Amino acid sequence: MTKEGIVAVQDFNLDIKDKEFIVLVGPSGCGKSTTLRMVAGLEGITSGKLYIDGVLVNNIEPKDRDIAMVFQNYALYPHMSVYDNMAYSLKIKKLPNDEIDRKVREAAEILDITRYLDRKPKALSGGQRQRVAIGRAIVRNPKVLLMDEPLSNLDAKLRNQMRAEIIKLRQRISTTFIYVTHDQTEAMALGDRIVVMKDGYIQQIGTPQEVFDHPKNLFVAGFIGTPTMNTFDAKLIKDNDKYFVEAGGHTVELSAEKSKRLSDNDVKSQDITLGVRPDHMQIADNGIDGKVDVSELMGTSSHLHMTAMGKDCIVIVPNSGQNIDYMGKDVKLTFSGNTAHVFDEEGNNLEFK
Amino acid sequence: MNQNKKAEFKLLIMRTLSYACLIFLSLLCLFFFYLMILNASHSNAELQGKWTFAFGTHFIENLINAWNDASINIPRGLFNSFFIAVISALLNTYFAALTAYGIYAYDFKLKKIANAFILAVMMIPSQVSAVGFIQLAYRFNLTNNLWMLILPSIAGPATYFYMHQYLEASLPLEIVEAARIDGSNEFVTFNRIVLPVMKPALAVQMIFAFIASWNNYFTPSLLLTKAEYKTVPIMIAQLRSADYSKFDLGKMYMFILLAILPVMIVYVFLSKSIIKGVTSGSVKG
Repeated sequence: MTKEGIVAVQDFNLDIKDKEFIVLVGPSGCGKSTTLRMVAGLEGITSGKLYIDGVLVNNIEPKDRDIAMVFQNYALYPHMSVYDNMAYSLKIKKLPNDEIDRKVREAAEILDITRYLDRKPKALSGGQRQRVAIGRAIVRNPKVLLMDEPLSNLDAKLRNQMRAEIIKLRQRISTTFIYVTHDQTEAMALGDRIVVMKDGYIQQIGTPQEVFDHPKNLFVAGFIGTPTMNTFDAKLIKDNDKYFVEAGGHTVELSAEKSKRLSDNDVKSQDITLGVRPDHMQIADNGIDGKVDVSELMGTSSHLHMTAMGKDCIVIVPNSGQNIDYMGKDVKLTFSGNTAHVFDEEGNNLEFK
Repeated sequence: MNQNKKAEFKLLIMRTLSYACLIFLSLLCLFFFYLMILNASHSNAELQGKWTFAFGTHFIENLINAWNDASINIPRGLFNSFFIAVISALLNTYFAALTAYGIYAYDFKLKKIANAFILAVMMIPSQVSAVGFIQLAYRFNLTNNLWMLILPSIAGPATYFYMHQYLEASLPLEIVEAARIDGSNEFVTFNRIVLPVMKPALAVQMIFAFIASWNNYFTPSLLLTKAEYKTVPIMIAQLRSADYSKFDLGKMYMFILLAILPVMIVYVFLSKSIIKGVTSGSVKG
């Protein structure tokens, strides 16, 4: 599937493989829903081409694209029973009644909603409605299943549960998924590959691991992973084939792997933005000076909100049972050379230029 | 404790007062219906004489007399009125809903202008456009034709306005999009998905359209001159202008009762929908 040059979505070039689970993720207004609606045919494509299964579908009506969609607010037909909601598309196709019945019951079985088949959507809870909406989509066995923030209307507990259900669902029905969310946790948990978007532009495409470990720029680094990655103003120093980062008077040598990528890109000594994830920072005997403002106990670990080099940052320390009270203390922070990310002034990762 | 009792007492007084007020108002409304039925049960002579609260014994007689009146064909009038009112109400609501849906659900150039134009039409009273309308009817030789009264009801700007408001409040466009993806074409979507969602609105507007048409006197009186096409309001007007010496008041009250009966029946059966329609939109489903 490919699509390029749109106003809300500027430059979008993506090839989705058959049976792949793609997640479009980004802050609100980044064009991810628009992209999905373009794939569905609900939104026009000004320029560029969209292929589904090798067929150019730019000028094909949604109903002929062989896609199904799950909406954020469920969009169930309020006057029809669950059964009729799911059977509607099949009835439109004029399938024989026994086949409709078989398919609806099969889908209901998968989603565990068989006992609600006679109910109206009004008489269902949010989670049940969302199941029906998914059922309505999968009953047709579409080539592509589009999901537009399907879980964001559910409460936190139900959301986690439904997320697991979607993973299970995916194992049971084999089809291509395109899933839109603003929740990076969902994106990481569900996607084979995730597409991080901002202001209509793709920022990075990759497996969740790739995007997490090697964010292409500061936006992706900040958006993926919670708590957010800490950033500091720092210097990158090249010494022969070795690279060092120097921040707040503390110098750390980058790992060989990172150094190699930097030297391959012919990166010189320069001012950089250093990024380190909160779980990759440690409290040590010497390092960057920091002062703990707040300590939050999270269970197995504590989140220390602190000020270091004039910036707010978060450090996660494991709870070893020693019960150290960090509140208000001055500490020194360090990190290892394989967890530091170096970004240039434009915010691009110098390793992956 | 004392305070509680005081509050209870206050509430009781307030309740009693408000119920008394409501009962009085209800009686006031119902009194005219009572009067009408009462009068329809008395003979002409009784009605000319001393007035009484008791029901008379001439109800059936009046009914037979009115039904079989030689100069005014009441059954025919009822049929004409009913025919026009039912079909007008159906056409009016269906097409108003269709128009409202079109303007609500689709984005097109001149959408705002189309909306403003329809609302502008609402500002023009039918009496103003009647001259042109009657001329048209005469030129096309369509006077004394019931369809001439039915077809214009297709364009109902006030109904359109109501339907548009209703759609804005109660039809998320995702439902339409879901139907589109489910493969139903636009017209099927309207008939099978949108219309059922609009049921309460349709019911309310159908009642209003039915009553408006049933009570319409102005245009029919200009268009319908032959006896067999006359509607109930024209017949009532005819009765009023009849010769007083030959006038049977019992028969006349019976006729008025017959004229109001269909409207009452419609209200009794659809009042639930009316209340639903009035309160809908404020409550999320």
